[in-house]
Amino acid sequence: MRRPITLYGLTFSLPLLVWQILFFVFPLLFLVALSFWTVKNFAMRPDFDTVNWTTMYGRAVFWQAYGTTFVLATAASFLTSVLAFPAAYAIAFKLSDTARRWAVFLMVIPFFTSYLVRVYSWQIFLSDSGIINVTLGWVGLGPLPLLNTVGATMIGYLTLSFPLVVLLQLFSLVFIDRTLIEAAHNMRCGRLRTVFAVIIPSARTGLVIAALFCFILSFGDFVSPIYLGGGEPTTLSILITDTTKSGQQWPRAAVIALTMIATLLAVAFVAVKFAYKGKSK
Amino acid sequence: MQRDTLVSFEGVVKRFGSFVAVQKLDFEIRKGEFLAIMGSSGCGKTTTLRMLAGLEAPSKGVIRLSGKPINDLPTWSRDTPMVWQSLALFPFLNVRENVEFALKMRGVGKAERRRRAEQWLERMQISEFADRNIAQLSGGQRQRVALARSLVVEPEILLLDEPLSALDAALKVRMQSVLKNLQRETGITFVYVTHSQSEAFSMADRVVIMSRGKIEQIGTPQEIYRTPRTRFVADFLGSSNLFSGKVRAAGGGLALDTPAGELRLAPDAGQTVGDTATMTVLDTKTHLSVTVPAGAVNVVPVRVIGEEFVGATATLYLETSQGQEIRVQKGHDEFADLPIGMGQNLYAWWNPEDAHLVAES
Repeated sequence: MRRPITLYGLTFSLPLLVWQILFFVFPLLFLVALSFWTVKNFAMRPDFDTVNWTTMYGRAVFWQAYGTTFVLATAASFLTSVLAFPAAYAIAFKLSDTARRWAVFLMVIPFFTSYLVRVYSWQIFLSDSGIINVTLGWVGLGPLPLLNTVGATMIGYLTLSFPLVVLLQLFSLVFIDRTLIEAAHNMRCGRLRTVFAVIIPSARTGLVIAALFCFILSFGDFVSPIYLGGGEPTTLSILITDTTKSGQQWPRAAVIALTMIATLLAVAFVAVKFAYKGKSK
Repeated sequence: MQRDTLVSFEGVVKRFGSFVAVQKLDFEIRKGEFLAIMGSSGCGKTTTLRMLAGLEAPSKGVIRLSGKPINDLPTWSRDTPMVWQSLALFPFLNVRENVEFALKMRGVGKAERRRRAEQWLERMQISEFADRNIAQLSGGQRQRVALARSLVVEPEILLLDEPLSALDAALKVRMQSVLKNLQRETGITFVYVTHSQSEAFSMADRVVIMSRGKIEQIGTPQEIYRTPRTRFVADFLGSSNLFSGKVRAAGGGLALDTPAGELRLAPDAGQTVGDTATMTVLDTKTHLSVTVPAGAVNVVPVRVIGEEFVGATATLYLETSQGQEIRVQKGHDEFADLPIGMGQNLYAWWNPEDAHLVAES
């Protein structure tokens, strides 16, 4: 049912609307415009030329970076979801109410420190002369190449999204009707099988949304691939900084940014559609 | 143990922390009967059912199914399907998948699963909804899905935890006959937990009445209705008038000295002088007249304080001079020649043979 717009409602919603238009829609439109500008002698000129689009889309390095970023973000979403689920499950079903409150509190704590700081502290663990390799050295092993690997990038993505994914999964798990679980047990469905036959389908919306958040965070992340992954392989976020640094190619960077936004919108749309599949009346 | 016993509770106790939900249950469920467990909320009836389903473990005592103790058997290793009050249908599966669920868990093949589910969908008259979502069904249709889902494995016993409580009155009555017929046709033992006397008495072969974790009475609906064993049962059913007092000798027999006057006991009451006892007499066996009827021994002067007409029966509410409320229930026409206006003074009376004594408990 559509309700009439009132002055009272406008008073509270208008500032947000204005803010969104000023700081999201305008920059986005500017980004679109920028992607058609041209660069001559390291100077940008307003223009309407599709050269940036054809140049970027014609480059193998762009598509490589695109593929890398997409695969890494997808892998991070699956890995984080799979690793977070047992934690969220235990917090939702095995802990007492008090312990659950503590667990939620502990999951919030990582947000107290900057993500950049947390990634730097991973370097202390992972570098060739870091804590892990020194410890391995004492027992005559190593050093293992840990830093500047895809694995290290993955650790960074996990650091970024794990607590959030656990919390999102947790909130969908605690709202599962417990009698559904009892009913499954009552019909010869054992504990582990109930997880796959009842709990995951019941919590699907939350689980998919949690994975989507991980994808969005990882897809656009610059910190982990550069400081833990060592910039190799190149992700789209790294490609953007490279592009802006080499010859003031802001219009080409805009093309990359717009492609990323379009990708995220498409992924989010598909994910939400899947998350709510069969839930409409 | 009798030969036709399917389930027996032997000294079963259930505690939750310091709270005793069920204290020392001893009773048997017979093969093929429709047993209703009735009581108000918190009486332990649902806990009893859940222990039978394996969803709660008894703190003490033994539960046997077909003679074998099942205390340590987890619910997924028992064949005790249950129908929940909320029905607990899986919203992420359609009707057919819900009905097939238990078969799938038992490893029944796809074709066989489909065939057996189809049978039950047809039997419960919900075949046309087989591919629908649960959310698209009405309350009555969901009820049928829940029954089909539990019965598709053709169990020996079916547990029902107030499954009709969410339905409106008319649908409730219709589902009662569906349930009763289903039970009669399949011969499956039904254990039906309810707080509703009308549900229990209209469907069950035997009724267990529980209060505060204990069994007050077990019997057929007629037995319980005609001869409530304890004061609690008589009060709970609400269809008897109760009078308490001390037993004393009177006119060659025994009588009860109550605030409402001296009330004669039947000769075989089995009481001794000096005991405290409570007499109950059904509201349908309590009579009214304008004058003291000749030869009547138990007569209580009363005043009309209310009347209620439901269908063909009328209930009169009356008050004794001590303020005790009693009720009399009759067919409409039986009150026809009585002046039953508000405040009218009448005499309530009954035959000593129609009254009996109950335990105080």
